[in-house]
Amino acid sequence: MRREAIAWERAAEVDAAARGWRRVGAIEEATYRRIRETFPDPCVTPGAVWRVLTGGVVAAIVLCTLAAMALSVWGSSTEIQVLLLLWGAACLVATEVLEASPRSARRGAAGATSVLGVGLFLVGLGLVLVETVRLRDDDAIDVLLVAAVLTCGLAAWRWGSPLFTGLAGGALFCSLARLPHGRLLWLLAGTALAGAAAWGLDDGRLAPSHRVGAAVLTVIGIGAVYAAANVYSLDEGVLEHLARLAPGREDLPRGARLAAAAATALLPLAVLAWGLGSRRTFLLDTGIVLLALSLVTLRHYVQVAPLWVVLTLSGALLVILALVVERALRRARDGELAGFTAEPLFSDERRQRALQIVPVVAAFTPEAHAPSHEPGFAGEGGRFGGGGAQEKF
Amino acid sequence: MNSDVVAAISRLRADGVLSAGQADLFDRVARRGLVSIRFEIRALLYAGVLLLTSGVGVLVAQHHQEIGPLAIATGITLAAAVCLLWVMRRAAPFSWGEVSSPTVAFDYVLLLGLLLFASALAYVEVQFTVLGPRWAYHLLIVGVVYLLAAYRWDSRTALGLALATLAAWRGLSISLVPAATLGPGVATDLRASAIALGALYVGAAALSARLGRKAHFEEVFANAGLLLGLGGLLSGVLADHRAWDLWLVALLLVAGGVMAVAFRLGRSLYFAAGLVAAYIALVRVLFEPFRYGRHADSIPLLLAALLGSAVLAVIFWAHRRMRDR
Repeated sequence: MRREAIAWERAAEVDAAARGWRRVGAIEEATYRRIRETFPDPCVTPGAVWRVLTGGVVAAIVLCTLAAMALSVWGSSTEIQVLLLLWGAACLVATEVLEASPRSARRGAAGATSVLGVGLFLVGLGLVLVETVRLRDDDAIDVLLVAAVLTCGLAAWRWGSPLFTGLAGGALFCSLARLPHGRLLWLLAGTALAGAAAWGLDDGRLAPSHRVGAAVLTVIGIGAVYAAANVYSLDEGVLEHLARLAPGREDLPRGARLAAAAATALLPLAVLAWGLGSRRTFLLDTGIVLLALSLVTLRHYVQVAPLWVVLTLSGALLVILALVVERALRRARDGELAGFTAEPLFSDERRQRALQIVPVVAAFTPEAHAPSHEPGFAGEGGRFGGGGAQEKF
Repeated sequence: MNSDVVAAISRLRADGVLSAGQADLFDRVARRGLVSIRFEIRALLYAGVLLLTSGVGVLVAQHHQEIGPLAIATGITLAAAVCLLWVMRRAAPFSWGEVSSPTVAFDYVLLLGLLLFASALAYVEVQFTVLGPRWAYHLLIVGVVYLLAAYRWDSRTALGLALATLAAWRGLSISLVPAATLGPGVATDLRASAIALGALYVGAAALSARLGRKAHFEEVFANAGLLLGLGGLLSGVLADHRAWDLWLVALLLVAGGVMAVAFRLGRSLYFAAGLVAAYIALVRVLFEPFRYGRHADSIPLLLAALLGSAVLAVIFWAHRRMRDR
């Protein structure tokens, strides 16, 4: 990352913290202004709506222009490949230019051009490998995965985007799965990655976005270890399906299944313990998700009760667990227990509550009924309409 | 540990910007000496409610003949009553202003109670056909109960559910549940319902804000209304091949009005909804003259890109001048 971009990010971190303090009234407006003067953030930083809107429109412009050019030169695959690679390169150059200016770095346009640039480059490269170099499909996939690791890794390093960090990590494990002993490689590389990335979580020398990237890599490493160690994944050969040559069942070492069963049970607990010990909420969240996956695995092998009992009991247990934890924290001295609290501290509670409407409405709204299947409705009691609207237009 | 914030706090304390007490607290949080797990508690509660209601759904679907309809209906109703009684006991007195939840769990127990109530009602309707051919009215009843609960217990979540359920009663889906979504091929009467309901919701948003009655509900009402209203108009532009030009004029007028009002009020989300709807509609216009011909495909795409550039200019201009930045 550019030195100036790192400085802008550091100032933005301080500004975000100060806004949180101001939001809950922990500091006065005058104090907030002095903090901003002490740590000035020169970047124009629009809200999320503006950033998404800008990114979406920029993506539409780039893709429409590309599609128009592609349709004009249609006829030769080589021309399309050149066009994709050129367009990808142009997007990457545009990202560099946008990221260099505090007026444009955080508007959403740079994010859109970077994603399109890397994406178009990889699609173009894929076409070159398959249609021009005429590699076999398996070889092309291998080369493309390595290219994805490198390009996404470079993009993450240069622009500090956690999205690219995640994509690079995902591509890395996909390419490892294609090698012989892919499962073993996932275990080793996952452990190494999680361990190495965890060192960077608090490293003040790293840019803030690189520290977020380190958290993403930690989660990916843990996820890879869990996917490789999970007993269901072992039985079904989930990772082996990604390999070029799937090994037979006899390739499994003795005791591997037992070890996998133990790992399925213990790994989530270990991650939860790590999260509790280090007081890192993203590790707690990862541990909770892995624990849920382990319980689903257990249910797959041990039919302890009918599905409805399992669902109802686990739902009730979760609610009770959440209530107990919340009550314990609320009743503890100063509302905290072992460094944890149920208070929102400096986070934007109002915004979080507003955002939760979306998943609730998405999950729990009843299915819409078809009005045409409702005999007798239209003629009785008048038709539905407000503000002059009628059912029939 | 957020090392940048820790370093900043140290400097701000040394410069006298922060008092010792403020700096100690902020430093402790920045060093993860004190961590909030409120989000995790909320996530557990949400997952618990999801699993519980799914479990009840599976039970009813698989075992209703063995247990008997009366027992199931009574059981679910009792469970709903327990949840809602708990909510009533814990709730703060009614106010037209914003009321904070007494506990983190409050919203979720309310949600569980309402969902169980809706399940019980749906089950009774299926088993005993109380409403007969007018069965769809049970959605209206559920929607109205959600709406009342939203006002009584000041729940934006319940309000969101109410608006989506009332839309479902009119045959419209504004959630991820696959149903009659607002896309090409939508029936004319559904389109009219969407526009009417959208106007109703936007009107309710305006009234909430103007009268100061649950003014914080404005955003939920308005976003649902704009989604339905602009979606309905847009479906006319895209799907009605005979009168698409009339729909276009109507959409551009409405979208322009929405953007103007959003600009004045400083509401970026409303502005975005109007702008996106207008852009999609205008792209359709660009493609219309080029349906046939040599450059039928490439020229409208280039024009769409040009239009996008103009939209981008509007976004930058509006962002510079709007209050909600």
